[in-house]
Formats: sequence, structure tokens, C-alpha cells
Amino acid sequence: MVSDELKQVILKQLNLDEFEIDDDTVAPSVPGWDSLSHVNIIVAVEQHFKVKFKSMEVLKLKNVGDLQKLVDSKLAK
Amino acid sequence: MININAGETPTLWKRWLLNSERAPGKEAIVHWIGGEEPVRWTYKALINEAKKFSVMIKKMGIKKGEVCAIIIRHNPFFYPLYLGISRTGALPAVLAYPNPRLHPDKFRQGIEGMSQRSGLDYILTEKELEPLIRPLIEKKEGTIKNILFPLEWNLDEGYSEAQDDEIENEAGLITEAEPALLQHSSGTTGLQKPVVLSHKAILNHVSNYGRSINLSENDKIASWLPLYHDMGLIAAFHIPLAYGITSVQISPFEWVIAPVLLPEAITKEKATLCYLPNFAYNILAEKIDEDELSGMSLKTLRLAVNCSEPVRNESHNKFIERFGKYGLDSSALSACYAMAETTYAITQTEPGEPVKVIQVDRQALAGGIVKQASDSSIARTCVSSGKLIEGCEIKIVDEHREEVNSGFVGEIAVKSVSMFDGYRNYPEKTAEVVKDGWYFTGDYGFIFDDEFFIIGRKKDIIIVAGKNLYPEDIEDTVNQVEGVIPGRIIAFGEDDLSIGTELVSVVAETRFENEKDKNKLRLDILKAGMSIDVNIHKVYLTPPRWLIKSSAGKPSRKANKERLISGKDPLVWSR
Repeated sequence: MVSDELKQVILKQLNLDEFEIDDDTVAPSVPGWDSLSHVNIIVAVEQHFKVKFKSMEVLKLKNVGDLQKLVDSKLAK
Repeated sequence: MININAGETPTLWKRWLLNSERAPGKEAIVHWIGGEEPVRWTYKALINEAKKFSVMIKKMGIKKGEVCAIIIRHNPFFYPLYLGISRTGALPAVLAYPNPRLHPDKFRQGIEGMSQRSGLDYILTEKELEPLIRPLIEKKEGTIKNILFPLEWNLDEGYSEAQDDEIENEAGLITEAEPALLQHSSGTTGLQKPVVLSHKAILNHVSNYGRSINLSENDKIASWLPLYHDMGLIAAFHIPLAYGITSVQISPFEWVIAPVLLPEAITKEKATLCYLPNFAYNILAEKIDEDELSGMSLKTLRLAVNCSEPVRNESHNKFIERFGKYGLDSSALSACYAMAETTYAITQTEPGEPVKVIQVDRQALAGGIVKQASDSSIARTCVSSGKLIEGCEIKIVDEHREEVNSGFVGEIAVKSVSMFDGYRNYPEKTAEVVKDGWYFTGDYGFIFDDEFFIIGRKKDIIIVAGKNLYPEDIEDTVNQVEGVIPGRIIAFGEDDLSIGTELVSVVAETRFENEKDKNKLRLDILKAGMSIDVNIHKVYLTPPRWLIKSSAGKPSRKANKERLISGKDPLVWSR
């Protein structure tokens, strides 16, 4: 499940107050989340959680649920 | 350096065939896939597969001169399909695969608009898009004859040698003056302008442009550019194929998520050339983790050509600062000025020479005069797009289309041996921009020391990451949003120096007064933009009658943009 913490990092980066984000949410369904802002969101998530993603890991993400799992796996290490 | 004799082979297909006969084992295309082994097409294998596709195309009833729109994601079979269409004399037209955020109706409207204007006869796409496109075929007044799924074809089963021979014979009858392909200017709905290019225009361009960059058989192009864009299609696909050299094709969707794919491909494949819109220099310089660049080498890269967006000196500086330690030589920085209407390039900086950068007086420039900056001036840095390439002419003209003297800014008019034959089925638009063989580009610029500097544009087009957007499209869409006063909207581009491109801003008049309503309206405006696959970055809301009108009675984009950016009006809400 997408944590409120991750959701807030994404919303802050997109300059949104509130928007429904769950496991199945994909970038194109969120206002402002396009290919140009994607890289900034990933960097913001990395900085907030103090983790680092490899490009190939990011490439495999299909939705926000996958991003949450990736964050969790990094934090567990 | 390779010299292409444009008369040696009259058509693209014959050129590709000749290349496959001369160097059958040479790699034509390396299809790059992030995290996987690439798919490698030799010239021989590519041509053989293209022949099989052409047999199927013929079987499907597609005739010479008919337009085949290709809407396919990054796929290794795209290339032989494209070549196979060309072999039959049909015209390939690459269209963008729809972003999931694009509303299905808007996508259909776009295709419909294009099919009426460009005369799209067939759509060759992926099975996944069938529900989206099928309704267009079933429409009584529709012009599209059929939707086909070439990736599902069993090419070996459909192949017949007799038909293959027949197609080859017919391919031999196609002349250099006949149309070879159709490409569209960018845009979101019905405003795309279809540009038809002949075999001769493309082959002449390949020859002239190739000389301007000293192209040799040792060159290899690495590209993530989409093939529906002229820079991707001509510079990174047609030029290498016609020259018989290799191109490495990276998915644009993958690259933007994982920019490291480009330096990785350059390193592994020892690529020598790449073409990038300006924003890509910033992305590459700033959005790749240092750890991921370990072991990378860009020392083979002899040219990184900046094109499709205004060239920014700071982007070049960032790029060289980041990649200098990975072997990139600063002399690889390069720029060109290009457009689909002249096949591709008009100017190109000298290979191996530093790109000329000059400081001009900003105030004088605003008044149309080119004056080098003095200590007391507010300077504007202008980056050269290079010198004219062979077969091209440029003149700088005033508002009456009269040539201006050197030292003055004006609209750029161009002539080229590789000029388009006019917009397809759009004589009124062609007449607007072409006169006496000159194409009036709508771009503003000047000449300094025989080099061309592009500094702005007459048209209100917004260029976001190399993609041209028409403000009218965005305004029409936002006009439907509840809470916006109809007809009182403007869309414009605002420079974002951190990304090195423009981003879309919208200003709309509204009667909403409280914060909550304004935030909701902003979100609705962002969603409206999403429905046409446009990311609106900033929304300005103003009270009624705030927008300045132009003499035509419509809100003026230029005047209102200046007013918004220059002043802090307490009546303006923005986020």
C-alpha cells in the first residue's frame, strides 16, 4: 500500500494539495506527472527517503505501488 | 568522407539496397532496449525482412502513393516495416503512439483531422490500439481504409518469391521526383501540417548535409529521438541508412526515464554522433547519478548536435562540465537549424570548431538591431546555429518580406534543393508561407560573420522539449473548463532555465474569488491539458476584464505574457 509519506513527497513535487494516489496509480493519470517531471519526482523520493535507485530499477516501475515496493526494499537493506 | 551521388540511386529503397549489397554484414540498426541485449539488424537482414513486409503490404491491397500511418512503440520490426512500405511506393508516415493520458476522443479527433488533411489511407499499429482506432474505420464519412497489425503478421507464410520479384520490378519504376514519405509538424489535434518529401529531396539532403558534418563510414549515430519528429526521422534514421552507416535507436520513453541509456549506448557502441534538443543537455548533465556513469566514455563522440529548440549556451556549458571527465571533447558541441519543410537542416556549425557565442546588446536587439554588447549594455548571449549548408539559401526579411541589411534582425526565409512540395491538401497554408520559392519560417534571427543566429519566433508556438505545441489547441481545451470565462484564456511558453526548455503556462479570467475555488479550477485546467497530452506547468487566474486585447479584439498572448512576467499584480493568482 502506498504510504502517506510517499504520497506527500509526490504531491509536493507536483505542487498539488490533494490527489488520489494508490498502488495502481500510473504517472499519466496524475496532473503534472509527465516525462519531464518524472525524473524530478524520482530524485525527490530518493532524497526524502535517503535511498538511491538504479536507472534500470526505475525503468521497470509500472505504477506507484511498484515505486513504494522499491522504496521499501531499499529501506530494508 | 563518403560522397553520395544522389543520381546514383533514384529512390531511398534503391539506396538501401545498394548499401546492403556493398556491405551486407554491416550493422544498419542497433535497436537498444534498457537492461537487455540490443537487437541488431545488418543491412542484409534488414533488407530481407523489409522485402517480406512489402509482400504482405501488397497483399493487404495497399497501393503506390497511398499513405500508411505507422503508430507503433519502440519495436525492432518497425524498421523493416518502414522500409517495406517505402519499397512498394506507398508513403510511410510515422505518428506518435498515444500517451495514456490523452483522451480517446481527442486522439481520434487528431487522427481524423490528419486523415482528412493528409489523406491517411491505412493505419498500421499494435493490436492494443484497435478499440481506439476501429470506430474511425467504421465511420461512413471516414477516409481511412483499414487498420492493420503488422506485428502480428506471419511474414514467412505470406511470402512469395514471385510477388517479391514483381514488387522489385515496380520499385524500379519509381522516380526520384515521386513522394517518399509524409511527416507532420507537431501539434495536438487538427493543426498538424503534413509535409511530403520526395526521394530526390531526401537524397539531396543526405548528400549535402552529410558533407557539412564530414560524415564518414566510421560514423555511428546514437539516438533516443522519436521517429515522428524530423530530427529523429531524418537526422538519426534516414541519413545513416542512406549513407550505409549504423544508427543505435533508443526508446524515447525509456530515455526520458533513464537518461543514462544514451551515454551507455555511446560508450558500448562507440557512437560518434548524436542529435539532441536543448533540454536534453540539461537532463543529461543533471539527472544522472554519478555512480551510474562509472566506466562510461564519450571520447568517441565527435559531434553532439543541438537542434529543434533555441540553443542555450548554459546548457552546452553544463553538458561539457559534466561529461568532460568522461572523455567528451568540447569541440564536439555543435548546433544546426533545421525544419521539416526543407527535409531537415539549413545551417550547421563547423565540425570540430567551437560553436560561436556572441554577446549582443539586449536593448538594441529588442529594437531589431544587432550590436555587440559593451560594458554598459545589458547583454544577451546568442549561440550560432552555424553556416549555410550546400544547396541552401537564407535571407533575413522585414514584415513586408523585403530583405533587410546585415546587422538587422528579421524573419528568416529559406530556400533549399531539398524543399518540400507544399503542405499536402493544404494549398492555402502553403501559399501563406511559400512565395517565389522561399519558405518564410516564422523564426526571427540575424547573420553575424556569415553565421546564423536564431533568437525567437514570429509565431506563438511553444516548444516544450523539442515538441511544438500550438497555444490555440490548449486555449480551446481550457475554454471548456467550468469556471473559466469563455474566450478569456491565453496559453504561452515560459522559459525554465533549469530544464533548458519552455514550459506551458495558462492565464484565464474567472469570477472565482476564494482560494478553494481557485485551487479547484487550477486542477481542472491541469486535467484539461492532460486530456490533450499537454502538461500545463503554471496557471494564472485573473478577475474578469484583466486580459489585454490585441487590435483584433482577442486577448493578446505577447502583451499579457509580458504583463504577467514583468509585474506583480495583486489581482493575479498563480500557482
